[in-house]
Amino acid sequence: MDDRVRWHVYDVTMTEGTPPSVARLASLLGASEEDVAASLARLAAARMLVLQPGSGEVLMAGPFSAVPTPFRVTLPTFSCYGNCIWDALGIAATMRSDARIDTSCADCGAAAEVRVEDGAVAGGGFMHFALPPKLWWQDVVFT
Amino acid sequence: MLFFRSEEHIERWCRAWRFDKGAVIPIKQGWELARAWYSDDRRQPEWRRRTLEETEAVFASLGFTSEFWSLR
Repeated sequence: MDDRVRWHVYDVTMTEGTPPSVARLASLLGASEEDVAASLARLAAARMLVLQPGSGEVLMAGPFSAVPTPFRVTLPTFSCYGNCIWDALGIAATMRSDARIDTSCADCGAAAEVRVEDGAVAGGGFMHFALPPKLWWQDVVFT
Repeated sequence: MLFFRSEEHIERWCRAWRFDKGAVIPIKQGWELARAWYSDDRRQPEWRRRTLEETEAVFASLGFTSEFWSLR
């Protein structure tokens, strides 16, 4: 069940850019929403997904975000959002696609554009990892 | 992980928000990290999160061997 749920989460996300709802997953799988929600909870416990508090809907299907972020990614087929600048680049990597990332400097707010073209990145700038990897999952949304 | 125009802007942001400066990676190296990290198709049934050792190997392949990147 969990492998099938994960497959559908990523199949929809990689086709449309946004993770599916619990209701849509239930429809795709021919399963109850309760069973889908329980499966998503297990996948989240295994750190394969991150869920929204309260609703249990998918928040992050790394590298994709289910909600708008400051890291908008435009592919030839759809636009979507990364969870962070690393994930925004990760969307281009996992889709094996050219991409344009529209973001801004976290300090001054100046708009910035990073392009991935033919497997290479164009544009300057830096990524800052405020937390070491061993702490990333203590609060993955903050990370 | 946030995006910054320059290292000067990272240092200013860290002072403003009282964070210690962490790891700074040029965007081109960040692309290499993204390619190494997200190259697998997560739809595949055999996909699993990397083990600690596999994660260390990804970091090491990119030269991330300082204490900051230690997982232990």
